[in-house]
Amino acid sequence: MTDFWRTRKSVLTTLLLLFPALACFFGLFLYPMLLTVVLSFRPEGQEVGWTLANYTQFLTDPDGRWVILLTFILALGSTALSVLLSVPLSLLLRAKLSGHRWYRLFVLVPLVIPGLIGALGLLLFWGPRGWFNLFLLRFVPFVSRPVPVNYTMHGLILCYVWLYFPYTCVTTLSALESLDPGIEEAGAVSGADSWQVLRHVVLPLIMPGILAGSVLTFMAAFGAFSVPLIAGGNYRPLPVEVYKQISIPIPAHWSAASAIAIIMGVLQVVFLALYMRLARRTHGTS
Amino acid sequence: MSLARAYARGLWDGRLVLGYTLLLSFALFIIAPFLMIALRSVGKGWFGRLWLPPQLTLDWYRWAIEVGNIPEVMKNTLIIGIIAVALSTGIGICAGWAFGRRQLPGKEILMAVILLPRMIPPITYALGVAKIFYALNLVDTHLGVAIAHVSVCAPYAILVLSATFEGLDERVIEAAGVCGANALKRFFYVILPLIMPGILASMIFSFTHSYNEFTLTLLTYGPHTVTLPVRTYLAVGDGYWEITSAMAVIMVVPSLVILAMIQRRAKPEKLVGGFKGV
Repeated sequence: MTDFWRTRKSVLTTLLLLFPALACFFGLFLYPMLLTVVLSFRPEGQEVGWTLANYTQFLTDPDGRWVILLTFILALGSTALSVLLSVPLSLLLRAKLSGHRWYRLFVLVPLVIPGLIGALGLLLFWGPRGWFNLFLLRFVPFVSRPVPVNYTMHGLILCYVWLYFPYTCVTTLSALESLDPGIEEAGAVSGADSWQVLRHVVLPLIMPGILAGSVLTFMAAFGAFSVPLIAGGNYRPLPVEVYKQISIPIPAHWSAASAIAIIMGVLQVVFLALYMRLARRTHGTS
Repeated sequence: MSLARAYARGLWDGRLVLGYTLLLSFALFIIAPFLMIALRSVGKGWFGRLWLPPQLTLDWYRWAIEVGNIPEVMKNTLIIGIIAVALSTGIGICAGWAFGRRQLPGKEILMAVILLPRMIPPITYALGVAKIFYALNLVDTHLGVAIAHVSVCAPYAILVLSATFEGLDERVIEAAGVCGANALKRFFYVILPLIMPGILASMIFSFTHSYNEFTLTLLTYGPHTVTLPVRTYLAVGDGYWEITSAMAVIMVVPSLVILAMIQRRAKPEKLVGGFKGV
């Protein structure tokens, strides 16, 4: 009998310890989510009634479909570029060339800097009076006018890469550094040159790390809000579209905004599930 | 195909030179925006094709402080940050204790559920949070904005502190018990010093996320709770690049201090929230 009460008490303590976390989860995530879902099915500006109009309106509008496509192009483009930047960079950082501590610090900079500051700096750097264009005008022949980068799609992708590549890079680097050096030595002893070791031994082994990092970069780029808000110009991905619905019209279009937000959340979850499934299938255990 | 392979192989053979070139261009890619901001914030009459500003001035900082009201904004940001850090670290300690030191059925699933907010773009639940806060009159209060930030900070605190509590050696605590320390003493003299690095890491990460948080702030702020990111956004909208740059410089300083602390005290993998497996 005392044993029963003891386990009962222990369960109660565990629940009590978990209570703040669960309260935070339900109060600040699940309930607001449900509220957004309910709101997205209400007719605009009304408290009662159910309708699908908010969804059909956005999804049948060519602009709406372009916004969804744009969000995917931006997120996938920046993820691909981040992987292309991160893999050579983490291989170099692992080699511990002189000054590698500084470069490691540079990798972390975009993580702790507010996204707006990064975007502001990049706007100044790529702008018509920035150093990038000054360099092109001065040293590259056949460039007689500033190359437009700001407020274009490739400029926006570059901003995303600057801000979100550390997710891929840090994960790849930690996968590389936890690799057993004996495996590479075994490859070299078996007669593979350093390129073959990299291609057939190291890369397959760190693939799970690269994939995990690219998922994080993708999620950050898909949900990016502050950067496209100031650096996007006419290119408005989904989060900016949501904010536009509640900031520009008076009274605010809360139902339309909620519908777009829900479409966005569903797209992200579905895409992530597919991506992880694909990654798991192509790379066995990960 | 064989051409591509030969090309890749050639790149690999010249890897040392290429490596340094890549590292240097990478460093330039990261630093150049900050140099531009710093120069823009002290430059005067910088027009046309000039590499450096012709005159230096501190006027833009004076404008930022007087017109941009930076001291007030800084105070708001710090108050909100401290409340958010305290709340999320408290949540993290409780949940971390439960996850790291107690038997829990379905621990993995529960953990995945609590960490779910990181998988969803903040703007999706920020709308709901804003609606609730309007109903509860929490909009435009320091506490309200801080609570909104907790939804972003808490998952990171829980993640870091669960790992800390899991790494706690049970035998040390038992040894303290054998030596005659009661539960209170065991907590304050044995457990607390052991988990201090974890708590510090979680506080640093929570503060970074609160300091940088923009989406949730933008939907719950008001005239009395303008934080630094929101102020910068409003300044960008006004279009005075010089004053915005001065604000940005003021804003970057605490971030760099945090970066130095992270470099010394914590593993960077934790900042990105190390996913296990894909």
